[in-house]
Amino acid sequence: MASSSRTGQISRQDRIRSLLGQYGIGIVLIIMMIVIAIMEPRFMTPGNIINVATQISINGLLCYGLCLCITTGGIDLTVGAQLALTSCIIGQTMSVLGWPAILSILAGVGVATLFGFIDGVLIAKFNMFPFVVTLSMQLVIRGLSQVITGGRAVMLTNDWFTGIYSSKLAGIPMPIIIFAVVTVIMYLMLHWTKFGRYIFAVGGNVNAAIAAGVSRFWVIVGVYTISGVLAGLASMIYTSKTGSAQSNIGIGYETDAIAAAVLGGTSFAGGIATIPGCVLGIFIIGLIYNGMNMIGVSSYYQSIVKGLIIIGAVMLDMVMNKNKH
Amino acid sequence: MKKSIVMKVLAAAMALSLVSCSFVIADETEAAGGEVSYEADVNGDGKIVVGYISKNFTDPFHAPINARAQEYFDQAVKDGIIDEWTGLLDGETDPNKQIDRAADCIAKECDIVIFLPAEAEASDPALVQMADAGIHVIEVNSKSASCDEKAIAYVGSDDVQAGNMLAQWVVDNCPDGGKFIHCNGVLGNSAQIQRTEGMHEIMDEHPEFEMVGDFDTKWDGNLAADAASDAISKYGEELVAIICDNDGMSSAAQKMCNDSGREDIICIGVDGVEVPMQLVKDGSLKATILQDGVGQINGAIEIVEKIVKGESFDPAPVIPFVLITQDNVDDYM
Amino acid sequence: MSEQGREYILECEGISKAFGGTQALKNVQLHVKPGEVHALLGENGAGKSTLMKIVIGLYKQDSGTMVFDGKPYQARGPVDAIKSGISMIHQELNPEPHLTIAESIFLKREDHNGIFLNKRRQNERTQKILDEFGFPYPATTLIRDLKLADVQMVEIIRAVSTNAKMIIMDEPTSSLDAQETEHLFRVIRDLKKQGVAIIYISHRMAEIYEICDTVSVFRDGQFIGSSALKDVTNDDLIAMMVGRRVENQFPKVDCPIGDVVFKAEHLSGKGFEDISFEVHAGEILGFSGLVGSGRSETMRAIFGMDPLESGKMYLNGKEFKRKNPGDSISQGVCMVNEDRKNFGLCLFRSIRENTSLPSLPEHQKGVLLNQAREKREVEEVSRTLLLKAASIEHNAFSLSGGNQQKVVIAKWIMAGPKLLIMDEPTRGVDVGAKAEIYTLMSKFAAEGMAIIMVSSELPEVMGMSDRVLVYHEGRINGEFFRKEIISGEVTQEVILSSAFGVA
Repeated sequence: MASSSRTGQISRQDRIRSLLGQYGIGIVLIIMMIVIAIMEPRFMTPGNIINVATQISINGLLCYGLCLCITTGGIDLTVGAQLALTSCIIGQTMSVLGWPAILSILAGVGVATLFGFIDGVLIAKFNMFPFVVTLSMQLVIRGLSQVITGGRAVMLTNDWFTGIYSSKLAGIPMPIIIFAVVTVIMYLMLHWTKFGRYIFAVGGNVNAAIAAGVSRFWVIVGVYTISGVLAGLASMIYTSKTGSAQSNIGIGYETDAIAAAVLGGTSFAGGIATIPGCVLGIFIIGLIYNGMNMIGVSSYYQSIVKGLIIIGAVMLDMVMNKNKH
Repeated sequence: MKKSIVMKVLAAAMALSLVSCSFVIADETEAAGGEVSYEADVNGDGKIVVGYISKNFTDPFHAPINARAQEYFDQAVKDGIIDEWTGLLDGETDPNKQIDRAADCIAKECDIVIFLPAEAEASDPALVQMADAGIHVIEVNSKSASCDEKAIAYVGSDDVQAGNMLAQWVVDNCPDGGKFIHCNGVLGNSAQIQRTEGMHEIMDEHPEFEMVGDFDTKWDGNLAADAASDAISKYGEELVAIICDNDGMSSAAQKMCNDSGREDIICIGVDGVEVPMQLVKDGSLKATILQDGVGQINGAIEIVEKIVKGESFDPAPVIPFVLITQDNVDDYM
Repeated sequence: MSEQGREYILECEGISKAFGGTQALKNVQLHVKPGEVHALLGENGAGKSTLMKIVIGLYKQDSGTMVFDGKPYQARGPVDAIKSGISMIHQELNPEPHLTIAESIFLKREDHNGIFLNKRRQNERTQKILDEFGFPYPATTLIRDLKLADVQMVEIIRAVSTNAKMIIMDEPTSSLDAQETEHLFRVIRDLKKQGVAIIYISHRMAEIYEICDTVSVFRDGQFIGSSALKDVTNDDLIAMMVGRRVENQFPKVDCPIGDVVFKAEHLSGKGFEDISFEVHAGEILGFSGLVGSGRSETMRAIFGMDPLESGKMYLNGKEFKRKNPGDSISQGVCMVNEDRKNFGLCLFRSIRENTSLPSLPEHQKGVLLNQAREKREVEEVSRTLLLKAASIEHNAFSLSGGNQQKVVIAKWIMAGPKLLIMDEPTRGVDVGAKAEIYTLMSKFAAEGMAIIMVSSELPEVMGMSDRVLVYHEGRINGEFFRKEIISGEVTQEVILSSAFGVA
């Protein structure tokens, strides 16, 4: 560390190296794309690229929420159940009670937001473990969606709503636009606002953060609330996509979201994450599904392949990071 | 089935010969036409208690079944047909939970239990446990492994038949053949296995069809929709059909096709839950295959009634699947 | 083994080690004789720690050889080093707090009967060793129930119980008070008599002169020289370390003392009682006393980290109320915490983010941060503090202790405090950086800031303070002024007796 250079300058070599370290997982993504493209030339068509980008939006939104929670040193296991609850609220209010679509969406996303807020308060105010809080709340939320629908599926009859998933703006599918807008907002929030810095500080060293005047309470409540909003939005896309609302959807969806966040360099120790990293992680998970479908991996092997690819990607990323030091 | 009943009678006879014969009640008698009858009050406490172990409360297919059971047994208690029932017990699609619920039924001294197994093998101990405790178990919807030996009746449909119907619909509607994909349910689930088997029985006879994808879509409409869009993007016009193990997946897949301007792709699945039925009615889904869940539970209810009245009944009624198209959809909604 | 023989117990020759592009050690040597206390001197980042980590096998050198006890030596890790007879007592004591003393001492070499742990025999053996050392706790005491000084003693006892021929001590006195330090020195002298070599790393020159025989000086990864301590002066050593002569160890500049900035009236809380004092603009107010006498507790309560049971505070004449540190910071009261690792820095975030954390509200432009301005200001304050870092975008983790402390100070300077509380501002900081921090304190005071300095190092308190308040058992027991100290009227002994409650 006895570097003689003073502060301020950063060499180009340093910058490239740190970029590689930060987004080394991007190389994994490129390798995956090349391998899939060789095995299946139709993978690289513009149509399929847009197809993948559209498919990843649901997991992408969930991933951002989890990324924030993990960065503060927590976890949000409710997102799968939140997906079901928002879907059921949208379905019931729109199809059964005949509310206007916008109002239903607001109600659905609003309730998801509220549950996120409650998670945050339980964790921050009462110092409960995030794992325990969200594990239990997940049961409450899914139970509530069963109560609302009585377990029945509700069909979405509002054409505008069911058209959201396939509609396009300037030739770009709506889910991509929603995902892109959320990505930009999340990027700015995490890397360009006071709140983002506070998230890193609380996750990095909560005592130092408090000693620097950061309110742990509002940071924790903030990230779980945002995770709720994002789960609600993801559910809106999901419900529009399948055209039906039911309480048994979204089971296990938190695992893909966690996997994407971790692939993107989000540290379970807290305090380390980047949104560009998460985007890469989200694309990798999306490519695993799309790639296996394109190549035609037998259904019995898909789960194994998925698990091995995730482990392999994380290992490759670690090896690349090691070389840097 | 018949053989096993004979075995049971033999076993009962042996038991009789061992016990002194003063207060023996024949537990099971074989009547004409393969029908059987049973003594209702198994434990002789003077009360008839019925248990109901659901598969789950979350699946739209099971919701109307559970609702029908709730409605009937509440009324039956009021009417004095039976003395008590357990209410709907939630199996949570989890064999482990179902085994626990079975123990609850034994503890509550049930005489008859209606049981909808979640898994063929893993849920079986629930049946064995109850049967060994002397309870008359009626399995509904799908069979667990020792159903034929241990349950007194099975009311259900033949999932292999449903698989045949799925494939037949595609064969009938795409006379020129072409490429199709298959969306699986959760792998290892008996409905997934049998429906897939039935689908292959027909499709293997038709070389003009080529299965180009076999996806692990886990009963999940979202994953089926993604599989559909992947297949469309890979095969384009060559893709003619998507066969799904349930119609939650087929309706999501059909919606994806229609939204991509590919209304011509035939998507079909099994179950006949509300959403696909509505879609058939609206014309956006051409057909679905109804597994008559309410018909199955009604079959089980009928058996309960006959046991209580001491009448004999068919221990294995098959409730047929029904092909639902726009022509007959109104009859089943 | 020949006592005080001519041959060396440890010989390192031509050791080099690079991390990435940074050459941490360049062809250095070290020769340690049995039975001597050998001081390693050098600023943080000079390469002492790297060399020691190579010796105990935490790192592997790129080139160079070592001979220990007459045999070629290369440890594969600390456990291996212990087997060879080298133990290290780390600066950041990191014992497992949930273990008992016995478990800690027998860690990784537990007493077994077959596969089963023989706890009773282990405890008995430990107790015997403890008794030999006159250590006043039973072997079954949990580590977390011990004072820091006793934890350190446990580490030393462990080292001795492994029959160590050489013990490396990294800043062993940094968290000890005067009495505890004396006790440690007695133990070191005993070890010396038994022929154990000690490598002693410290920044406290007085201690080095008191306990060490030989000194080796390092600078910028290079070996500068080695000498018997009796042959070199303090100034020579400092010159060797920093590569130039440090004119004045305590560059205190007298500046006009202004109005009262902060006033405390009858503060009471956990660990302190009825504390009243004033601190003026331009004044450096020193707080002396034994570790645990309630100084840090008072400061934490003022800053809002801990609750206050009673008492009132005033800032610039108005009553000062705070619910949490955030309130204090926004009103201009900031605090450098004595525990840098736990309360100072997010080690895996950049220098920039760490520095600007308390002043982020001032860097907002709408909802977003003005990062360009933030960067400019952090660079400016880093320059003022002479921070040695390749870039402010690097992780705080990559910095040496002294530079980490500068980042902590930088973040409070950037927040623009009216009152800056500095609890042990130079703990774990090397001589060169210490002088720099003192210069900065003088500068900030001259600019009108009121500064409170809590310190356990008497020369520092006496060299830098305009006024010294001495704590004894939670109360203020003495007040001394700079002119009394300069005139020699108040000596170290006077302040010490006040701290011990004698006067």
